[in-house]
Amino acid sequence: MRIAVTGTPGTGKTTVTEHLESRFKDEGSDEILGDAETAFEVTHLNDVLERDGLYTDIDAARESKIADLESLADWLAGRDDVIIESHLAHHFEADRVVVLRCRPDILEERLLERGETEAKATENAESEALDVVLAEAVEEHGFESVYEIDTTDRDPEVVADALEAVITGEREPSAGDVSFVEYIE
Amino acid sequence: MSQDDEKWGIAHVHASFNNTIMTVTDLTGAETIAKSSGGTAVKQNRDEASPYAAMQMAESVAEEVKAAGITGLHVNVRGPGGNLQKSPGPGAQATIRALARSGIEIGRIEDVTPIPHDGSRAPKGKGGY
Ligand SMILES: Nc1ncnc2c1ncn2[C@@H]1O[C@H](COP(=O)(O)OP(=O)(O)O)[C@@H](O)[C@H]1O
Ligand SMILES: [Mg+2]
Repeated sequence: MRIAVTGTPGTGKTTVTEHLESRFKDEGSDEILGDAETAFEVTHLNDVLERDGLYTDIDAARESKIADLESLADWLAGRDDVIIESHLAHHFEADRVVVLRCRPDILEERLLERGETEAKATENAESEALDVVLAEAVEEHGFESVYEIDTTDRDPEVVADALEAVITGEREPSAGDVSFVEYIE
Repeated sequence: MSQDDEKWGIAHVHASFNNTIMTVTDLTGAETIAKSSGGTAVKQNRDEASPYAAMQMAESVAEEVKAAGITGLHVNVRGPGGNLQKSPGPGAQATIRALARSGIEIGRIEDVTPIPHDGSRAPKGKGGY
């Protein structure tokens, strides 16, 4: 099974999937997922994009590499028991799509604390306020495959529990439960 | 109406997954002329409800805008509006149609949807508007 973990930068994708990775290491993914054959791997897609140069151009204003989605899809082909972690993860085939959410003002704080520029923090917070990633995920995968998880005021451990519940099938799909539009301007 | 009687403003439309809101300012963006409280979609029927709610929202804002003497609006659209295939999305489209129907002249329509990005971003047309 292929799981996409997406969400606006700053929602905690890397943090939560690293938590899950260490659980897999400590307990074995078979223990957690109850499947003796498969070892779940986490792919941090930005690392792949950097390492293999899978981008077509650079958006200078945003200091951001424009992803080569086709080459990334080719790289992912055949990798099935995998958790794909990236704010682009919903642009690829997946069985379940997890969309992490975070209140825009807190997301902005997280990004500034991580050392991002004011411009980056602001545009991502606005994207989060307008549900850009969620809308794309639902558009591409349908309501039945999308699992929205609010990370606002939740410890990464608790978010990792919710992600684990998606993977084990204990959580129902959901989308549009949070509303952040009041954080516009 | 002669050229001299024309007065233009900017409608800033924010169309999120289940809500559409609008602020109308003067051409400099400094002065707010009207502000909507937002049309919230009915959850169970989001696809139909969203454009309808957006239309009602736009109709009431249009009355305020006309009362302030505005005759034309340029439109800045931000947000997916629950639909990527069409830009602007259905919420934003319904808003623009309702403004036009109320007798307000529509000028430039610009899509200024923000792009989520860290070290990477999606190409245009695939999330990256
Ligand atoms: N659940 C959480 N609660 C509070 N802070 C968090 C949480 N998850 C992540 N963070 C912090 O927010 C910042 C962004 O997290 P990160 O995992 O890098 O997000 P992403 O990979 O989605 O861009 C980091 O500084 C991280 O320590
Ligand atoms: Mg990350």
